[in-house]
Amino acid sequence: MKISLGWLKELVDYQLSSDELANQLSLTSIGVKQQTEDYLELDLTYNRGDLLSLRGVAYEVSAITNTPLKFLSDIPEDYTWAGKNLPQVKVEIEDEKLCPVYCVAKIENLKVEHSDDTWVKKLNDSGIRSINNIADVTNLVMLEYGQPMHAFSAKAIKNETIRVRVSKKGEELKTLDNKVRKLEDDLLITDSESILGMAGVMGGKDSEISEDTTTILLEAAIFDPLSIRQTSKRHGLYSEASKRFQHGLTKLRLLQALDGAIKHYQSLGGQLTAITLKGDFGQEKRSIDLSIQKTNSLLGVLLDEETITKALQKLNFTVSKKDSDTLEVIPPYFRMDINIEEDVIEEVARIYGYQKIEGQPLDGEKPEKLDQSLQKFIYNLKLALKDAGLTEVQTYSFFSTKVLQALKPDAVKIANPISSETEYLRTFIWPNLIEVVAKNIRAGFKDIAIFEIGKVYSPGPTESYRLSIALMNNTDNPIEELVSVIASIAKQSLKGLELKEGGMMKELETLFHSKRYASVEDNGKPVGDLAEVHPRFLNEFGIDKRVAILETRIGPLLINF
Amino acid sequence: MEEKISEIKKEYLDNIKNADSLKELDSLFLALFGKNGVVTLLPKDFKNLSSDEKKTVGPLFNKLKTELENAIEKKRTEVRETSYQQLADESFNIDNKVETKKREGHLHLATKFKEEIIQLFEKLGFSQFDAPHIESEKYNFEDLNIPKDHPSRDMWDTLYIEPGKFLLRTHTSNFWPRLMEKKKTPLRAMSFDRCFRYEAVDARHSHTFNQFEIAVVGKAGEITMANLKYLSDYLLKGLLGKEAKSRFRPKYYPFVEPGVGIDCLCVFCHGKGCRICSNTGWFEIAGAGMIHPNVFKAAGLDPKEHSGLAWGFGPDRMLMIKYQIEDIRLFLEGDLKFLQGFNKP
Repeated sequence: MKISLGWLKELVDYQLSSDELANQLSLTSIGVKQQTEDYLELDLTYNRGDLLSLRGVAYEVSAITNTPLKFLSDIPEDYTWAGKNLPQVKVEIEDEKLCPVYCVAKIENLKVEHSDDTWVKKLNDSGIRSINNIADVTNLVMLEYGQPMHAFSAKAIKNETIRVRVSKKGEELKTLDNKVRKLEDDLLITDSESILGMAGVMGGKDSEISEDTTTILLEAAIFDPLSIRQTSKRHGLYSEASKRFQHGLTKLRLLQALDGAIKHYQSLGGQLTAITLKGDFGQEKRSIDLSIQKTNSLLGVLLDEETITKALQKLNFTVSKKDSDTLEVIPPYFRMDINIEEDVIEEVARIYGYQKIEGQPLDGEKPEKLDQSLQKFIYNLKLALKDAGLTEVQTYSFFSTKVLQALKPDAVKIANPISSETEYLRTFIWPNLIEVVAKNIRAGFKDIAIFEIGKVYSPGPTESYRLSIALMNNTDNPIEELVSVIASIAKQSLKGLELKEGGMMKELETLFHSKRYASVEDNGKPVGDLAEVHPRFLNEFGIDKRVAILETRIGPLLINF
Repeated sequence: MEEKISEIKKEYLDNIKNADSLKELDSLFLALFGKNGVVTLLPKDFKNLSSDEKKTVGPLFNKLKTELENAIEKKRTEVRETSYQQLADESFNIDNKVETKKREGHLHLATKFKEEIIQLFEKLGFSQFDAPHIESEKYNFEDLNIPKDHPSRDMWDTLYIEPGKFLLRTHTSNFWPRLMEKKKTPLRAMSFDRCFRYEAVDARHSHTFNQFEIAVVGKAGEITMANLKYLSDYLLKGLLGKEAKSRFRPKYYPFVEPGVGIDCLCVFCHGKGCRICSNTGWFEIAGAGMIHPNVFKAAGLDPKEHSGLAWGFGPDRMLMIKYQIEDIRLFLEGDLKFLQGFNKP
């Protein structure tokens, strides 16, 4: 989210330059992606939904800079609708779990115009384009309070009735972007007859504000985050609004936002003529017990009760003493990410200052060593191969399209490949080494001796470690030198490994030289192949030299599913 | 001109037919399509033709080109296939003691770096524990406090094998639940291994990359953020020199609480700000934190009885910074000049 600095200054009296503020935020609150004199762009995380509003950012900035807020905390008696006996707009909610709160305000006497320059600047600094004064209010309010709003043209709504329900099979909606969308388990806003929009995701074309709109129905609601997420995903619609619904909203902020929006419309000459506030507006109190001793032991510091209490109070937490080690902590309503003791400890730590935590070596009981035989075996084998004059390469875990064409393997398929080059996992390593040989012949190498130790994958799925070697020594018969190379390391690093001439499996006949083949055995069990690669296969990669390969399984099979 | 074209065609189709080696075919190809090849030079005479003649000659010329190209390619395959027949006459003496050529061998840069890091942490009592690359959603996500359908899943662009079941692990962190559920605590474990993300490859990004990660589990109250700070400094100093040091910033990872991002003081400009650290004096290097109670719970360990920390980073990026390597593709695309160039980093 882009934070307009001019606007932020209206909400909190901080005295820092844009640079200083960005630096302080990134060290104590949240990363800053981009910064200019006019705005900061925050690197938002999934926990801090509160920072999706300027007010939320103002609370945070106030806490970390020790400066006062410029807006008053909430007084329900001051809401625009308080004490007035206004008529209601009819609202029907099919499932309160999917829509716990739905508010709608009818505002008349509006005139669609361009917004004034202050509004346009606020929107621009926040990365949102100005549309017209009516739509701009919904965006300004969303930015300031974090509560998405939607304005329907009242004319388009039949019988002045709003229903919130899940779509039925076969229903369609033309959305604001002029696309007709097939609906499926999507939460909808409808009137007594037709669909007005996809709740929280995108409005419909038919109820859009137009040039001659004078009366609107302004919606402020809370929808089930999961339902919004699924609808967004299904239709590929990710908006500033749907993001906020997914992070979760609070009822108190919703009322503040609705009040703020109505006041904006009143400043444009609008009149509030009906309002419906549907849902349970009671706030659930989250009280968390915080142990001082646990705080200190998790952080590795020595903080006293006062330091902890002060840090939390800065962030608008309510703190009271329960017993000598326990504080009862109530997070402010807008910090929905604070649910367990560890969450509170993190707040203490960052306000106290991570930089004040001094390093301490691990002490305590040293654990039992885990079995390292496979890891040691692999590393020693790599060293032996290096000492035998080979260069280690590491290649992708996939087969390229070229290898796939030449090999036609039975391989593990990726359901959502990035491209055809990541569609199948490798079943052998040696074809990837052939590609490396080809590449380096093109680069002018006359002698290539390479190896790779890594995993291959087979349907099941399973995975196992392999050693593969490729040798191109510029002769017509590289396999005999490869046998010598293997013999030189086998005594030490590949004990039990034997080469047995012949015995090629039928499916390998098109890949390998019919005479120059040996099966690799480990204590009598076949574990791999030694071969000269068939020139036909090599030609596919533009290689006209002879290349010999070894590929053998090493270590135990790894199947742990 | 038409006559000339048909003459060329006849002459060269005959020559191609009679050729019996790839070498011969290569020289025929050059004679036709090389810089001064007969086909290459032919269009030079077209300018003297009338426009009517041009209309007939044009298609004839194109036909000549494709016919000759196809004939050469077909013959090449034939010559090759004949030569493949001769492979049956070749021999293989497995007992022939051929002397091996003297070559200078090389380990991959990542292997050397891995060994360096592993040795550093072995000194502190850490053991390696490697988990599968193909992983279930349970170990890659759910057990790490990343529930199904939670928006935080969007933090990992994932390659799926069977959605809902198997995927390519997006981090080495799948080793913690796999190890913790064995309930052999205390633990000091580490893994340096391959991970995958749905990401297009360019100079800075790759769908296949390495991660190094440590996890420490002890009794409640035993493992602290002060330990985390010590281990961060220990690793950075061990790899980049005494001057290196770490800095914590708040960062969100679902599997730790508190969670921190770790910056390293820029060792090139000593924190003054330079091109490498984008003038900030620090570069982002790792993510870490104290193991989340839900992760303990998922592994069947009582969070009230245990404490733990985890620390992870991308060694590929660290290598790129350390050796000023501009292109991440160099690690996995087998460029021997690059791989053999790093003799003693």
